[in-house]
Amino acid sequence: MLENIRYFIRRAVRNMRQWPLLCTAAILTMAVALATVATFFLVVVNIEQLASNWTREIQVIAYLENPVSHRELPAITKKLEAFAEVEKVRYVSPDDAMKRFENRLADDASLLEGVNRNLLPASFELTLQPSFRNQDGIERVIEQLDNTLAVEDLRYGQKWLERFNDFVDMLRFVCLILGSFLIFAALFIVSNTIKLTLYARRDELEIMALVGATMRFIQIPFLLEGALQGLLGGLVSLGFLIISFKLILVRSLTSFWLTPADFDLLFLSPGQQGFLVFSGVVLGVLGSLTSLRRFVRI
Amino acid sequence: MIQLFNVTKSYGGESPAVKDLSIQIPKGDFVYVTGASGAGKTTFLRMLYAAEKPTRGQILINNQNITRIRSGQIPYLRRKIGVVFQDFKLLQSRTVYENVAFALEAQGKKRYEVSKKVYQALKEVGLEHRLQRKPLELSGGEQQRIAIARALVVDPLILLADEPSGNLDQEVTLDIMELFKKANARGTTVLLATHDHSLHRRFPRRVMTLDKGRLIADQQPVEG
Repeated sequence: MLENIRYFIRRAVRNMRQWPLLCTAAILTMAVALATVATFFLVVVNIEQLASNWTREIQVIAYLENPVSHRELPAITKKLEAFAEVEKVRYVSPDDAMKRFENRLADDASLLEGVNRNLLPASFELTLQPSFRNQDGIERVIEQLDNTLAVEDLRYGQKWLERFNDFVDMLRFVCLILGSFLIFAALFIVSNTIKLTLYARRDELEIMALVGATMRFIQIPFLLEGALQGLLGGLVSLGFLIISFKLILVRSLTSFWLTPADFDLLFLSPGQQGFLVFSGVVLGVLGSLTSLRRFVRI
Repeated sequence: MIQLFNVTKSYGGESPAVKDLSIQIPKGDFVYVTGASGAGKTTFLRMLYAAEKPTRGQILINNQNITRIRSGQIPYLRRKIGVVFQDFKLLQSRTVYENVAFALEAQGKKRYEVSKKVYQALKEVGLEHRLQRKPLELSGGEQQRIAIARALVVDPLILLADEPSGNLDQEVTLDIMELFKKANARGTTVLLATHDHSLHRRFPRRVMTLDKGRLIADQQPVEG
């Protein structure tokens, strides 16, 4: 058994050394295929992250018919905070609103002198939990607000939200189509490259079958070779991504791109990095297996 | 023991490559299979190592019916049969040693056993001093001797040779024939397909003649 395993490994390594060009072609094809899919994944993840940053701005402002008295305020605030969708509640009294207005006017604040301090309506500003920062969450909050408070008007950036939702939906759709296409193309190219490497060695496969090698005996070294090439392809693609993403892209983007100050470009987590390399191994084995079926006829 | 009963092999609509062949070859026999190109010699040999399945009829090798053999069983049949081709079918990227060792490794033989047997087989064909050469560095006759060593290294019950001297000159052919005779003397059944009539004139043995897939003559050598 051990002797067999050693023999298979020896043969896989010898094969790779005997056909360095074919072997390099297979490794690079897999590396490029994996890096392309991974890059696409990173672009999608980062756009989604950026988009979810924008939703932080989403809040519901409920303008009240009458200001709330100091006595009532804690109870109402508590009620609003009890909504599952709500993260933070902030009461803005008419006076607070006026102060904000004055701040915004800055040097022209003197225009407001003599104006009734209660001119602006009181309001509650509700910040939503991240998972409810969407049309659905907002509608649920509004429904509950109507039952709790005498609301005169509501603001929640309707148009912006609709457009944003459309954008996210479209983004996901495009990603799905492009992603599937990319994965399919990668599989196709890799399996064809492997087919080509096996085609170059069809004599060897034929002679093995001729001298009484079993199917398993013929296949195992090639599958091992596929796995090894896949592993190397995965590592090369990971190396490429680390260099191009972490060293080049992040540095250049932070210097001129309009990213929010607290926005960090996401890279593959250690688990995802492992998955990338593992995908290479799977790709190599599957590619070899499907191609071998075509070339090995006993 | 090789037995064929009414074996026919046809590829599609044209006339069959082998037609209604019934043959008995006892163990240890030496048989020439002759006939013009396209007479069905190669198809006949290919059916014996299960590279082709007969369309009709039965083939028995050592009382095992290989007509409907499962593909998983084919490797075990081939381990009893050595095959030699006109074009040698050697791996050009491997050394002489590796080419011969290949047959034993494919059968899962242990490493020390492999090296011992490979050396013996190459000594038998007179190439033990060329172990580390690549086939293309050698002459055609030497390459065919490697192929014969590969076929014989597994001690086959049957040796099939399909025009083994087709690419070789007369002198080399005689050397090759000596190797077949030696193998036959050790008990291996030898089937040699050739259209070279000088061979069986020089080394008289049983001659089966095929024509358009049919057996038209089966002559035993004249004694004395």
